[in-house]
Amino acid sequence: MSKFLRLLRKDLEASRWPLGILSGLILLFMLFVRYKISAGWALESAIITVALPLMFFVPWFVWQSFQTLRSEWKEDTVYTLLVLPVPGWYITLAKLVGLFVEYTILLAVTLGGASLILGRVFLEFTPTAPIAWIIRNGLIVYLISLGILASVVIFIQLAFVVSKMVGRFQGLVALWVLILTNWLVGQMGMLLEPVFRWVPPIPLERVFRLDQVGLELQRFDYHLAPKIGTWLGTILLFILTAWLMERYVEIND
Amino acid sequence: MIQGSQALVVRDLRKKYPGTEALKGIDLTLPKGEICGLLGPNGSGKSTLLKCVIGLLQADSGTIEIFGQKPSRHTKAQIAFVPEIDNLYRWMTVQETIDFISTFYEDWEPQRVPDLLDFMRLEPEKRVSSLSKGMRARLKLILTLARTAPLVLLDEPFSGIDPSSRDRIVEGIVREFKSEEQTMIISTHAVGDTEQLFDSVVFLDEGTVNLQGNAEDLRVRYRKSINDLFKEVFA
Repeated sequence: MSKFLRLLRKDLEASRWPLGILSGLILLFMLFVRYKISAGWALESAIITVALPLMFFVPWFVWQSFQTLRSEWKEDTVYTLLVLPVPGWYITLAKLVGLFVEYTILLAVTLGGASLILGRVFLEFTPTAPIAWIIRNGLIVYLISLGILASVVIFIQLAFVVSKMVGRFQGLVALWVLILTNWLVGQMGMLLEPVFRWVPPIPLERVFRLDQVGLELQRFDYHLAPKIGTWLGTILLFILTAWLMERYVEIND
Repeated sequence: MIQGSQALVVRDLRKKYPGTEALKGIDLTLPKGEICGLLGPNGSGKSTLLKCVIGLLQADSGTIEIFGQKPSRHTKAQIAFVPEIDNLYRWMTVQETIDFISTFYEDWEPQRVPDLLDFMRLEPEKRVSSLSKGMRARLKLILTLARTAPLVLLDEPFSGIDPSSRDRIVEGIVREFKSEEQTMIISTHAVGDTEQLFDSVVFLDEGTVNLQGNAEDLRVRYRKSINDLFKEVFA
């Protein structure tokens, strides 16, 4: 466990500068929005503008998923990493958890910064939603977003590792692996759907307690059966990446 | 657990890269407790052979046994490997690098570190990015010598570094090598005054073993130093 934590700490320390700069930029952006509100911006425009950093998260974490591995190759530290007597999944999971932490910090900076700098605007925008309801649903959305981030990272890690197993056209190979694995996992979801049809759907209107904010939806189900196969497929891809990383990736100058 | 009387046994090892055959059926047996010089010009297959042993490359055919075991995660724990390339995290300090590496090896001996840092004249708080090539080579050697790894692989440890760092490294190896517990392979294309280190030598040329044997036996048989023999073989 200490070996895994050491790898995680290393990955977190490696990303402290970009993370610090990005957090600073987000806070500066919030201050800019605060200034614009005092200069007469409509509250709705301010709310939409504040959400912009969240949209930036998508390309940023796609890039980071790739960059955390790429930097090891680019700086030749992969020679250190791959001779360590640890299972391959320690390396890939440490990078995945490192990205979870990065995401959580950036989310906290964005939402915390927005609350501190634009607190009054938020209160005016959500007068009917109790704070407990916002926190509870926020946490659920956060956990779902972690799941989405995990699958993005897993797909990109596999594509990167496979691309490093070929001598030429590595970018093209990575792209094809991304397309192929997405298709495969989708197929797995469809194939296994009958097996998991017994799993009851999740009534989202009850999970999110929409009645507490006056929204009366009759039924808003999320069907798990077609998703379970894709989740299993994604887990298999993670195992495959770790196995390739430990056994088959070749490092040469 | 370390098994067998041989540290390393390589049989008919072959490895191809696109357009070239780096190893053409290498056979090699290295007894425990020796320092072996793996000698050959650039491109002779020295690094490829060492990378196959540590597991950074997969051989196309042939076998490798490290203390009787095939290369795996478990044999990685028994090997201290110093690649020729700069493999250190540049944003870490010397101390952070030492702390990082020490976590992964049970044979790490923390009490040796202060003495090694002193001997190699390195300051723990210095950032790796601010070290010269010679200093980084010395740090890499500390990471190896602070362990009692049964098998030590040094790939071109003297390549491109200043004479004073080279002397420190040679002295460090002589001082810290424990022949009763360790076996070492040093690959180099510049034999020079490092030949005093070697108990045995293997001359590698274009992926094949050209000559191998006990260093002293070869000196007596050919009436030449290993350095002169090297020059003659690869002239």
